[in-house]
Amino acid sequence: MSTSAVLRVALPRARPRRRFGVAARGFAGVLILLAAWQISVPLVGLSPYFYPAPTDVLAAFVALVRKGILPVYLADSVMRYLTGLVCGAGLGIGFGVLIGMSRKASLALSPLFKFLFAIVEVAWIPIFVVWFGYGIETIVLALIYVVFFPVLYNTLLGVRTAPQILVNAVRSLGASRLQVLRLVILPGALPGIITGLRLGAGFAFRGLVFAEMVAAKTGIGYLIFEGAQAQQTSRTIVGMIVMGLLWLAIDQFYLRPIERATIQRWGLTIDAAERT
Amino acid sequence: MVEPSAATIVRAPAMARRTTRGLDAATLGTLPFLLFLLGWALLPYVVDYPPYMLPSIGTVLDYARESILDGSLPRDILASLARLAIGFVIGMGLAIPLGLAIALNRYVADLCRPVLSFLQAIAGIAWVPLTIIWFGMGNGSVIFVIANTIFFSALYNTVIGVQSIPLALHRAVRSHGGRGIGLLSNLILPGAMVQILLGIRTSVAYGWRALVASEMIAGSNGLGYMTMEAVQWQRTEKIILGMIVIGLLWVIMDRAVFTVIERRTVGRWGLLQR
Repeated sequence: MSTSAVLRVALPRARPRRRFGVAARGFAGVLILLAAWQISVPLVGLSPYFYPAPTDVLAAFVALVRKGILPVYLADSVMRYLTGLVCGAGLGIGFGVLIGMSRKASLALSPLFKFLFAIVEVAWIPIFVVWFGYGIETIVLALIYVVFFPVLYNTLLGVRTAPQILVNAVRSLGASRLQVLRLVILPGALPGIITGLRLGAGFAFRGLVFAEMVAAKTGIGYLIFEGAQAQQTSRTIVGMIVMGLLWLAIDQFYLRPIERATIQRWGLTIDAAERT
Repeated sequence: MVEPSAATIVRAPAMARRTTRGLDAATLGTLPFLLFLLGWALLPYVVDYPPYMLPSIGTVLDYARESILDGSLPRDILASLARLAIGFVIGMGLAIPLGLAIALNRYVADLCRPVLSFLQAIAGIAWVPLTIIWFGMGNGSVIFVIANTIFFSALYNTVIGVQSIPLALHRAVRSHGGRGIGLLSNLILPGAMVQILLGIRTSVAYGWRALVASEMIAGSNGLGYMTMEAVQWQRTEKIILGMIVIGLLWVIMDRAVFTVIERRTVGRWGLLQR
């Protein structure tokens, strides 16, 4: 038997065991937290309004699902999130490419964008409320605003770092400006765009929850806020847990696959740099 | 008339070109702002809308002067900055020891990772309704949210900071008998400090958002409270002033504090990776 065959047999066996150990310890951490929470409730002796037990939260969760409230809220939140993300990313990529390729656009727009970037999206929400009222317009606008800047700046970085040699080479072969954009600039800027999308997705998620607390009548953020107002604290905690799970799902099923499909394939991921 | 030397001939056009280009940059850069202000000033003549929707520039400036003179704006600014500072100290104070423990011990890391990544996914601001129940409106709630937000950002940076210490240095210190406290104070802390310091800027950026957002919901004073409270009374000039102050304060903090910190510490030690 050759050594490679031995390794091939040995490796898959070794890896799951380590992974299993990690999962088990992680699971233990979660269990310890839940147990400490459940045990501390009678010890603290506060009313469930102030400090609900995990069992209360579970009951609230079941009730919310049975009444059909939670699925509707979840769908609303996801819809707003995706709308804001897509529009904000589109604008960010567009302006990023424009500023990156045109000196005039860069000179004209950079100071304005720097100024607007400093006014965080949170600060815009009150005036959006005055202008558009409580509802989806305010939320989606705030999300577009918050996604726009990270995508813009990372796209810009990507465009600026596209190798000038390649641009010159393609141009000397007679490519038009549009062809340069399609053949060199956009593929070169893609890792930057992906980084921007990742950052923007994280910021937007926080923005979504806050905007829904302030300016919505449905959604996960509203559930968190309304539960506390109605003194149904266990509902608030259901909302928080659903929100956490939603973000983990977005990270796992949306952001990671994109990263794997694009950046990691080109060997540009941070993980690779850390491993060395 | 003296014949201009070759040098002046060459220099003159170049200088001229540079100044016009500099001028172009300045004018092009201010043009959007001017258009913006012009649009703001002319809008009432073009579109008919109730004045509370968008007050004139004069109204905003009047309100700015008024609120500075009666001391309400400085008070709100100070209240917000003080909360940011307290939340920052608490968040960093908790994150650095835990981050070191996670980075140095695999069991601690495995135990904490799922819980922490889940708690991190519950963005800081989502805690506000709960903290209102626990601490009431005001300082307690806002500081909890800021500390929570800064904690997770600083934790991440501490872990990355320890992990980015070159293995060679680690081995060198250990082969000279460094262990325990000595290892920590001579290698781990200074090595991780680079990333921790660089991370401060991001942490405070997140903390600043969290501050404004939580003051809007749970504050009893401060900039966020000032802008959100104005919505009820339709005092739009107050909202716009609040936005401008929030933007300006961030620019000042970024330029005057964090850039200087970076230059003084990380930059001077030649550890800045740029």
